[in-house]
Amino acid sequence: MRVALAEDGALFREGLLMLLKAAGHEVVACAAGGDELVALLRAQPVDVAILDIRMPPEPDGGLVTAERLRALHPELGLLFLSHYAESHYLMRILQIGTDSIGYRLKEKVGSVDVLTDTLTRIADGEIVIEPMLAKRLVERPRNERKSLVSALSEREIDVLRLMAEGRSNTGIAGQLFVTPKAVEKHIANIFGKLGLHADASEQHRRVLAVLTYLRSQRDSETSDR
Amino acid sequence: MTVEPAPTPAGSTTRLGAPPRPASAKPAAGSDDEARARRTAQEQWVRLRHLERQLHDGAALRISALALRLGMLRHRMPPDEQQFQAAVEAIQDELHLVLQELRDVAGMLYPPLLDEAGLGPALREAAARCSRSVRIDAGTERFGPAAEGAAYFAVLGCLAAEPHEGPDDPVEVVVRGESGDNGDGRTLVLLVLGVDPCHASTVHDGVRLLGGTAVTGETGLITVRIPCE
Repeated sequence: MRVALAEDGALFREGLLMLLKAAGHEVVACAAGGDELVALLRAQPVDVAILDIRMPPEPDGGLVTAERLRALHPELGLLFLSHYAESHYLMRILQIGTDSIGYRLKEKVGSVDVLTDTLTRIADGEIVIEPMLAKRLVERPRNERKSLVSALSEREIDVLRLMAEGRSNTGIAGQLFVTPKAVEKHIANIFGKLGLHADASEQHRRVLAVLTYLRSQRDSETSDR
Repeated sequence: MTVEPAPTPAGSTTRLGAPPRPASAKPAAGSDDEARARRTAQEQWVRLRHLERQLHDGAALRISALALRLGMLRHRMPPDEQQFQAAVEAIQDELHLVLQELRDVAGMLYPPLLDEAGLGPALREAAARCSRSVRIDAGTERFGPAAEGAAYFAVLGCLAAEPHEGPDDPVEVVVRGESGDNGDGRTLVLLVLGVDPCHASTVHDGVRLLGGTAVTGETGLITVRIPCE
Protein backbone atom coordinates (compact mmCIF):
# COMPACT_ATOMS: atom_id res chain seq x y z
CA MET A 1 0.00 0.00 0.00
CA ARG A 2 1.16 3.54 -0.70
CA VAL A 3 1.11 5.61 2.47
CA ALA A 4 2.19 9.04 3.68
CA LEU A 5 3.03 10.01 7.23
CA ALA A 6 3.06 13.27 9.19
CA GLU A 7 4.11 13.30 12.85
CA ASP A 8 6.12 15.92 14.71
CA GLY A 9 7.65 13.58 17.26
CA ALA A 10 10.84 12.36 15.56
CA LEU A 11 11.16 9.21 17.67
CA PHE A 12 7.65 7.98 17.00
CA ARG A 13 7.85 9.03 13.34
CA GLU A 14 11.02 7.02 12.76
CA GLY A 15 9.57 4.04 14.61
CA LEU A 16 6.38 4.09 12.60
CA LEU A 17 8.37 4.52 9.37
CA MET A 18 10.36 1.38 10.17
CA LEU A 19 7.22 -0.56 11.05
CA LEU A 20 5.46 0.55 7.85
CA LYS A 21 8.41 -0.54 5.75
CA ALA A 22 8.69 -3.83 7.63
CA ALA A 23 5.00 -4.40 6.87
CA GLY A 24 5.81 -4.01 3.18
CA HIS A 25 4.16 -0.64 2.63
CA GLU A 26 5.62 2.02 0.40
CA VAL A 27 6.09 5.25 2.34
CA VAL A 28 5.76 7.89 -0.35
CA ALA A 29 6.07 10.93 1.89
CA CYS A 30 7.16 11.50 5.46
CA ALA A 31 6.98 14.89 7.18
CA ALA A 32 7.16 16.56 10.60
CA GLY A 33 4.12 18.76 9.99
CA GLY A 34 0.91 19.14 8.03
CA ASP A 35 1.92 21.93 5.67
CA GLU A 36 4.97 19.99 4.56
CA LEU A 37 2.89 16.87 3.90
CA VAL A 38 0.29 18.77 1.87
CA ALA A 39 3.11 20.16 -0.29
CA LEU A 40 4.59 16.68 -0.77
CA LEU A 41 1.24 15.14 -1.71
CA ARG A 42 0.08 17.93 -4.00
CA ALA A 43 1.14 16.08 -7.12
CA GLN A 44 1.02 12.45 -6.04
CA PRO A 45 -1.86 10.59 -4.40
CA VAL A 46 -1.45 7.86 -1.81
CA ASP A 47 -3.85 5.22 -0.50
CA VAL A 48 -3.79 6.34 3.12
CA ALA A 49 -2.29 9.36 4.91
CA ILE A 50 -1.35 8.78 8.54
CA LEU A 51 -1.67 11.95 10.60
CA ASP A 52 -0.81 12.85 14.16
CA ILE A 53 -3.70 14.98 15.48
CA ARG A 54 -1.58 17.26 17.64
CA MET A 55 1.15 18.59 15.33
CA PRO A 56 1.94 21.78 13.41
CA PRO A 57 0.09 23.79 12.29
CA GLU A 58 -0.88 24.01 15.98
CA PRO A 59 -2.97 23.19 17.88
CA ASP A 60 -4.52 20.27 16.00
CA GLY A 61 -2.73 20.32 12.66
CA GLY A 62 -3.76 16.77 11.84
CA LEU A 63 -7.41 17.76 11.42
CA VAL A 64 -6.69 20.86 9.32
CA THR A 65 -4.24 18.88 7.20
CA ALA A 66 -6.80 16.13 6.66
CA GLU A 67 -9.33 18.63 5.32
CA ARG A 68 -6.78 20.07 2.91
CA LEU A 69 -5.65 16.62 1.77
CA ARG A 70 -9.23 15.47 1.19
CA ALA A 71 -9.85 18.61 -0.89
CA LEU A 72 -6.84 17.67 -3.05
CA HIS A 73 -7.57 13.94 -3.20
CA PRO A 74 -11.19 13.09 -2.25
CA GLU A 75 -10.51 9.33 -2.35
CA LEU A 76 -7.61 9.50 0.09
CA GLY A 77 -7.87 7.33 3.19
CA LEU A 78 -7.09 9.01 6.52
CA LEU A 79 -5.70 7.46 9.67
CA PHE A 80 -5.50 9.76 12.69
CA LEU A 81 -3.15 8.77 15.47
CA SER A 82 -3.26 10.35 18.88
CA HIS A 83 -1.96 9.95 22.37
CA TYR A 84 -5.57 10.33 23.58
CA ALA A 85 -8.81 8.66 22.55
CA GLU A 86 -11.39 11.40 23.05
CA SER A 87 -14.95 11.59 21.73
CA HIS A 88 -14.36 15.31 21.10
CA TYR A 89 -11.82 14.44 18.40
CA LEU A 90 -13.89 11.55 17.08
CA MET A 91 -16.77 13.94 16.37
CA ARG A 92 -14.44 16.36 14.61
CA ILE A 93 -12.97 13.51 12.57
CA LEU A 94 -16.40 12.26 11.54
CA GLN A 95 -17.21 15.78 10.40
CA ILE A 96 -14.32 15.51 7.94
CA GLY A 97 -15.77 12.31 6.56
CA THR A 98 -17.38 8.99 7.33
CA ASP A 99 -15.65 6.95 4.64
CA SER A 100 -12.11 5.61 4.63
CA ILE A 101 -11.24 7.16 7.94
CA GLY A 102 -9.73 5.93 11.18
CA TYR A 103 -8.80 7.10 14.67
CA ARG A 104 -6.46 5.05 16.81
CA LEU A 105 -4.19 5.35 19.80
CA LYS A 106 -0.51 5.58 18.91
CA GLU A 107 0.57 2.60 20.97
CA LYS A 108 -2.19 0.41 19.53
CA VAL A 109 -0.76 0.28 16.01
CA GLY A 110 2.50 -1.18 17.28
CA SER A 111 2.45 -4.42 15.33
CA VAL A 112 2.64 -5.23 11.64
CA ASP A 113 -0.66 -7.12 11.84
CA VAL A 114 -2.68 -4.41 13.54
CA LEU A 115 -1.14 -1.64 11.46
CA THR A 116 -1.82 -3.42 8.18
CA ASP A 117 -5.32 -4.45 9.22
CA THR A 118 -6.14 -0.84 10.16
CA LEU A 119 -4.72 0.54 6.90
CA THR A 120 -6.45 -2.09 4.77
CA ARG A 121 -9.83 -1.47 6.35
CA ILE A 122 -9.45 2.28 5.81
CA ALA A 123 -8.35 1.80 2.20
CA ASP A 124 -11.43 -0.43 1.72
CA GLY A 125 -13.66 2.46 2.76
CA GLU A 126 -14.39 1.48 6.38
CA ILE A 127 -14.40 3.60 9.52
CA VAL A 128 -11.93 2.30 12.08
CA ILE A 129 -12.38 3.57 15.62
CA GLU A 130 -10.16 2.70 18.56
CA PRO A 131 -12.10 -0.14 20.24
CA MET A 132 -11.61 1.37 23.69
CA LEU A 133 -13.28 4.61 22.58
CA ALA A 134 -16.10 2.86 20.73
CA LYS A 135 -16.77 0.83 23.86
CA ARG A 136 -16.79 3.89 26.09
CA LEU A 137 -19.18 5.74 23.79
CA VAL A 138 -21.68 2.96 23.50
CA GLU A 139 -21.58 1.78 27.10
CA ARG A 140 -22.24 5.17 28.61
CA PRO A 141 -25.44 6.42 27.13
CA ARG A 142 -26.12 9.73 28.77
CA ASN A 143 -29.36 10.76 27.27
CA GLU A 144 -31.86 12.40 29.53
CA ARG A 145 -34.51 12.39 26.86
CA LYS A 146 -34.85 8.62 26.64
CA SER A 147 -33.08 8.45 23.33
CA LEU A 148 -33.74 6.16 20.45
CA VAL A 149 -30.77 4.18 21.59
CA SER A 150 -32.33 3.33 24.95
CA ALA A 151 -34.91 1.34 22.99
CA LEU A 152 -32.18 -1.14 22.09
CA SER A 153 -31.72 -4.39 23.98
CA GLU A 154 -28.43 -5.19 25.71
CA ARG A 155 -27.47 -7.54 22.92
CA GLU A 156 -28.26 -4.94 20.30
CA ILE A 157 -26.07 -2.44 22.18
CA ASP A 158 -23.25 -5.02 22.05
CA VAL A 159 -23.72 -5.30 18.31
CA LEU A 160 -23.84 -1.50 17.91
CA ARG A 161 -20.65 -1.14 19.91
CA LEU A 162 -18.88 -3.59 17.59
CA MET A 163 -20.35 -1.77 14.59
CA ALA A 164 -18.92 1.44 16.05
CA GLU A 165 -15.53 -0.26 15.95
CA GLY A 166 -16.14 -0.75 12.24
CA ARG A 167 -16.42 -4.55 12.37
CA SER A 168 -18.08 -6.66 9.73
CA ASN A 169 -20.99 -9.01 10.48
CA THR A 170 -18.64 -11.98 10.53
CA GLY A 171 -16.33 -10.06 12.85
CA ILE A 172 -19.21 -9.22 15.18
CA ALA A 173 -20.44 -12.83 15.10
CA GLY A 174 -16.94 -14.01 16.06
CA GLN A 175 -16.74 -11.55 18.96
CA LEU A 176 -20.16 -12.42 20.35
CA PHE A 177 -19.95 -16.17 19.66
CA VAL A 178 -23.14 -16.19 17.61
CA THR A 179 -23.86 -16.95 13.96
CA PRO A 180 -23.60 -14.23 11.31
CA LYS A 181 -27.29 -14.88 10.69
CA ALA A 182 -28.10 -13.86 14.28
CA VAL A 183 -26.00 -10.72 13.87
CA GLU A 184 -27.92 -9.82 10.73
CA LYS A 185 -31.14 -10.12 12.69
CA HIS A 186 -29.85 -7.88 15.48
CA ILE A 187 -28.68 -5.30 12.95
CA ALA A 188 -32.04 -5.34 11.19
CA ASN A 189 -33.66 -4.67 14.60
CA ILE A 190 -31.23 -1.83 15.29
CA PHE A 191 -31.96 -0.26 11.89
CA GLY A 192 -35.67 -0.60 12.57
CA LYS A 193 -35.52 0.92 16.05
CA LEU A 194 -33.32 3.79 14.89
CA GLY A 195 -35.64 4.44 11.96
CA LEU A 196 -33.04 3.83 9.26
CA HIS A 197 -34.78 2.91 6.06
CA ALA A 198 -33.92 0.10 3.73
CA ASP A 199 -33.35 2.30 0.70
CA ALA A 200 -29.84 3.26 1.80
CA SER A 201 -26.95 0.88 1.23
CA GLU A 202 -25.99 -1.51 4.01
CA GLN A 203 -22.61 0.13 4.68
CA HIS A 204 -24.23 3.55 4.71
CA ARG A 205 -26.89 2.45 7.18
CA ARG A 206 -24.28 0.94 9.47
CA VAL A 207 -22.46 4.25 9.65
CA LEU A 208 -25.73 6.10 10.17
CA ALA A 209 -26.62 3.78 13.03
CA VAL A 210 -23.37 4.58 14.76
CA LEU A 211 -23.70 8.29 14.07
CA THR A 212 -27.29 8.34 15.28
CA TYR A 213 -26.07 6.88 18.48
CA LEU A 214 -23.17 9.31 18.87
CA ARG A 215 -25.30 12.32 18.00
CA SER A 216 -28.14 11.40 20.31
CA GLN A 217 -25.58 11.23 23.04
CA ARG A 218 -23.93 14.50 22.23
CA ASP A 219 -27.13 16.48 21.77
CA SER A 220 -28.29 15.48 25.15
CA GLU A 221 -25.13 16.70 26.79
CA THR A 222 -24.82 20.16 25.48
CA SER A 223 -25.93 23.07 23.48
CA ASP A 224 -23.05 24.17 21.32
CA ARG A 225 -22.87 27.80 20.56
CA MET B 1 -27.11 18.52 15.57
CA THR B 2 -29.87 20.31 17.34
CA VAL B 3 -28.98 23.33 19.36
CA GLU B 4 -30.78 23.47 22.64
CA PRO B 5 -31.59 26.70 24.39
CA ALA B 6 -29.23 27.53 27.19
CA PRO B 7 -30.35 26.17 30.51
CA THR B 8 -31.51 29.00 32.68
CA PRO B 9 -30.65 28.18 36.24
CA ALA B 10 -32.66 30.64 38.23
CA GLY B 11 -32.65 33.41 35.68
CA SER B 12 -29.00 33.27 34.78
CA THR B 13 -29.13 36.23 32.42
CA THR B 14 -29.75 38.75 35.14
CA ARG B 15 -27.33 37.00 37.42
CA LEU B 16 -24.66 37.13 34.77
CA GLY B 17 -24.93 40.89 34.58
CA ALA B 18 -24.49 41.41 38.28
CA PRO B 19 -24.36 38.25 40.34
CA PRO B 20 -26.03 38.90 43.64
CA ARG B 21 -24.10 38.31 46.82
CA PRO B 22 -26.64 37.65 49.52
CA ALA B 23 -25.26 38.65 52.88
CA SER B 24 -25.84 35.18 54.26
CA ALA B 25 -23.81 33.61 51.48
CA LYS B 26 -20.62 35.62 51.85
CA PRO B 27 -17.62 33.52 52.71
CA ALA B 28 -17.36 33.56 56.47
CA ALA B 29 -14.83 36.03 57.86
CA GLY B 30 -12.19 35.63 60.54
CA SER B 31 -10.88 32.40 61.96
CA ASP B 32 -13.31 30.18 60.05
CA ASP B 33 -11.94 31.65 56.87
CA GLU B 34 -8.36 30.98 57.91
CA ALA B 35 -9.07 27.46 59.04
CA ARG B 36 -10.73 26.68 55.75
CA ALA B 37 -7.91 28.24 53.74
CA ARG B 38 -5.47 26.09 55.72
CA ARG B 39 -7.51 22.98 54.99
CA THR B 40 -7.56 23.81 51.29
CA ALA B 41 -3.79 24.32 51.26
CA GLN B 42 -3.33 21.01 53.07
CA GLU B 43 -5.58 19.27 50.57
CA GLN B 44 -3.41 20.60 47.73
CA TRP B 45 -0.34 18.95 49.23
CA VAL B 46 -2.20 15.72 49.89
CA ARG B 47 -3.28 15.76 46.26
CA LEU B 48 0.30 16.21 45.06
CA ARG B 49 1.48 13.37 47.26
CA HIS B 50 -1.31 11.19 45.93
CA LEU B 51 -0.23 11.92 42.35
CA GLU B 52 3.39 11.08 43.15
CA ARG B 53 2.29 7.79 44.69
CA GLN B 54 0.17 7.01 41.69
CA LEU B 55 3.20 7.50 39.42
CA HIS B 56 5.38 5.42 41.70
CA ASP B 57 2.97 2.55 42.32
CA GLY B 58 1.60 2.57 38.78
CA ALA B 59 3.61 3.55 35.72
CA ALA B 60 7.08 3.43 37.34
CA LEU B 61 6.49 -0.02 38.78
CA ARG B 62 5.12 -1.38 35.53
CA ILE B 63 8.08 -0.03 33.56
CA SER B 64 10.55 -1.56 36.04
CA ALA B 65 8.79 -4.90 35.66
CA LEU B 66 8.91 -4.53 31.88
CA ALA B 67 12.68 -4.01 32.00
CA LEU B 68 12.95 -7.32 33.84
CA ARG B 69 10.70 -9.11 31.36
CA LEU B 70 12.76 -7.82 28.45
CA GLY B 71 15.88 -8.99 30.26
CA MET B 72 14.34 -12.46 30.62
CA LEU B 73 13.42 -12.52 26.95
CA ARG B 74 16.99 -11.68 26.01
CA HIS B 75 18.37 -14.29 28.37
CA ARG B 76 16.03 -17.06 27.37
CA MET B 77 14.56 -16.74 23.91
CA PRO B 78 11.27 -18.71 23.77
CA PRO B 79 11.83 -21.95 21.84
CA ASP B 80 9.00 -21.48 19.39
CA GLU B 81 7.72 -18.56 17.36
CA GLN B 82 4.25 -18.62 18.93
CA GLN B 83 5.58 -18.19 22.46
CA PHE B 84 7.83 -15.38 21.30
CA GLN B 85 4.87 -13.61 19.68
CA ALA B 86 2.84 -14.02 22.86
CA ALA B 87 5.67 -12.60 24.98
CA VAL B 88 5.99 -9.52 22.78
CA GLU B 89 2.23 -9.01 22.72
CA ALA B 90 2.09 -9.19 26.50
CA ILE B 91 4.80 -6.52 26.71
CA GLN B 92 2.90 -4.27 24.29
CA ASP B 93 -0.30 -4.72 26.30
CA GLU B 94 1.58 -3.77 29.42
CA LEU B 95 2.94 -0.65 27.71
CA HIS B 96 -0.62 0.33 26.85
CA LEU B 97 -1.52 0.07 30.54
CA VAL B 98 1.50 2.20 31.46
CA LEU B 99 0.39 4.87 29.02
CA GLN B 100 -3.18 4.72 30.34
CA GLU B 101 -1.90 5.32 33.86
CA LEU B 102 0.26 8.20 32.68
CA ARG B 103 -2.78 9.66 30.88
CA ASP B 104 -4.79 9.42 34.11
CA VAL B 105 -2.12 11.30 36.04
CA ALA B 106 -1.71 13.88 33.25
CA GLY B 107 -5.47 14.41 33.29
CA MET B 108 -5.35 15.14 37.03
CA LEU B 109 -2.53 17.67 36.56
CA TYR B 110 -4.00 19.49 33.57
CA PRO B 111 -6.29 17.75 31.07
CA PRO B 112 -4.78 17.93 27.55
CA LEU B 113 -8.21 18.52 26.06
CA LEU B 114 -8.65 21.60 28.28
CA ASP B 115 -5.39 22.99 26.93
CA GLU B 116 -6.19 22.19 23.31
CA ALA B 117 -9.91 22.77 23.05
CA GLY B 118 -11.00 24.75 26.11
CA LEU B 119 -13.54 24.40 28.91
CA GLY B 120 -16.52 23.26 26.83
CA PRO B 121 -15.00 20.11 25.31
CA ALA B 122 -13.00 19.28 28.47
CA LEU B 123 -16.03 19.58 30.76
CA ARG B 124 -18.19 17.58 28.34
CA GLU B 125 -15.62 14.79 28.33
CA ALA B 126 -15.51 14.88 32.14
CA ALA B 127 -19.31 14.92 32.28
CA ALA B 128 -19.42 11.81 30.10
CA ARG B 129 -17.27 10.01 32.68
CA CYS B 130 -19.42 11.14 35.59
CA SER B 131 -22.04 8.83 37.03
CA ARG B 132 -24.42 11.77 37.43
CA SER B 133 -26.17 13.45 34.56
CA VAL B 134 -24.41 16.75 33.84
CA ARG B 135 -25.37 19.39 31.29
CA ILE B 136 -22.61 21.67 30.10
CA ASP B 137 -23.45 24.99 28.44
CA ALA B 138 -20.18 26.52 27.25
CA GLY B 139 -19.09 28.34 24.14
CA THR B 140 -15.77 28.27 22.36
CA GLU B 141 -14.36 31.32 24.17
CA ARG B 142 -10.93 30.86 25.77
CA PHE B 143 -9.88 32.34 29.13
CA GLY B 144 -6.20 31.45 29.56
CA PRO B 145 -4.67 28.41 31.29
CA ALA B 146 -5.03 29.65 34.89
CA ALA B 147 -8.70 30.61 34.84
CA GLU B 148 -9.64 27.59 32.73
CA GLY B 149 -7.71 25.22 34.99
CA ALA B 150 -9.29 26.70 38.13
CA ALA B 151 -12.80 26.55 36.64
CA TYR B 152 -12.33 22.99 35.39
CA PHE B 153 -11.12 21.64 38.72
CA ALA B 154 -13.81 23.62 40.56
CA VAL B 155 -16.49 21.76 38.58
CA LEU B 156 -14.73 18.43 39.03
CA GLY B 157 -14.49 19.04 42.77
CA CYS B 158 -18.23 19.68 42.97
CA LEU B 159 -19.03 16.55 40.97
CA ALA B 160 -16.59 14.23 42.73
CA ALA B 161 -17.82 15.07 46.21
CA GLU B 162 -21.44 14.63 45.23
CA PRO B 163 -23.13 11.49 46.50
CA HIS B 164 -25.49 10.27 43.83
CA GLU B 165 -28.77 9.29 45.41
CA GLY B 166 -32.44 9.60 44.67
CA PRO B 167 -33.79 11.05 41.44
CA ASP B 168 -30.98 11.96 39.13
CA ASP B 169 -31.61 15.66 38.58
CA PRO B 170 -29.02 16.86 36.13
CA VAL B 171 -26.26 19.15 37.30
CA GLU B 172 -26.24 22.31 35.21
CA VAL B 173 -22.95 24.03 34.42
CA VAL B 174 -22.79 27.30 32.51
CA VAL B 175 -19.57 29.01 31.37
CA ARG B 176 -19.59 32.61 30.15
CA GLY B 177 -17.08 35.38 29.53
CA GLU B 178 -17.82 38.86 30.77
CA SER B 179 -16.03 42.06 29.78
CA GLY B 180 -15.16 44.68 32.39
CA ASP B 181 -17.19 47.88 32.57
CA ASN B 182 -14.42 50.02 31.10
CA GLY B 183 -13.20 47.27 28.82
CA ASP B 184 -10.44 46.55 31.32
CA GLY B 185 -10.01 42.87 32.00
CA ARG B 186 -12.36 39.97 31.44
CA THR B 187 -14.01 37.67 33.91
CA LEU B 188 -14.79 34.01 33.52
CA VAL B 189 -18.22 33.42 35.05
CA LEU B 190 -19.07 29.86 36.01
CA LEU B 191 -22.51 28.82 37.26
CA VAL B 192 -23.10 25.45 38.88
CA LEU B 193 -26.57 24.34 39.85
CA GLY B 194 -27.64 21.03 41.32
CA VAL B 195 -24.71 20.28 43.61
CA ASP B 196 -24.43 20.80 47.35
CA PRO B 197 -24.10 24.60 47.87
CA CYS B 198 -21.48 23.95 50.58
CA HIS B 199 -18.96 23.37 47.77
CA ALA B 200 -18.91 27.14 47.21
CA SER B 201 -16.45 27.68 50.05
CA THR B 202 -14.00 25.08 48.74
CA VAL B 203 -14.32 26.52 45.26
CA HIS B 204 -13.81 30.00 46.68
CA ASP B 205 -10.53 28.93 48.27
CA GLY B 206 -9.47 27.33 45.01
CA VAL B 207 -9.96 30.53 42.97
CA ARG B 208 -9.08 33.12 45.64
CA LEU B 209 -5.41 33.41 44.72
CA LEU B 210 -6.44 34.27 41.17
CA GLY B 211 -8.58 37.09 42.54
CA GLY B 212 -11.71 35.01 42.08
CA THR B 213 -14.79 34.50 44.23
CA ALA B 214 -17.46 31.84 44.68
CA VAL B 215 -20.81 32.55 46.31
CA THR B 216 -24.07 30.68 46.78
CA GLY B 217 -27.44 32.13 45.88
CA GLU B 218 -30.78 31.29 47.48
CA THR B 219 -31.58 28.60 44.94
CA GLY B 220 -28.32 26.81 45.63
CA LEU B 221 -26.76 28.26 42.52
CA ILE B 222 -22.99 28.56 42.90
CA THR B 223 -21.62 31.58 41.05
CA VAL B 224 -17.88 31.59 40.47
CA ARG B 225 -16.12 34.64 39.05
CA ILE B 226 -12.49 34.44 38.00
CA PRO B 227 -10.59 37.37 36.46
CA CYS B 228 -8.78 36.16 33.34
CA GLU B 229 -6.48 37.12 30.49
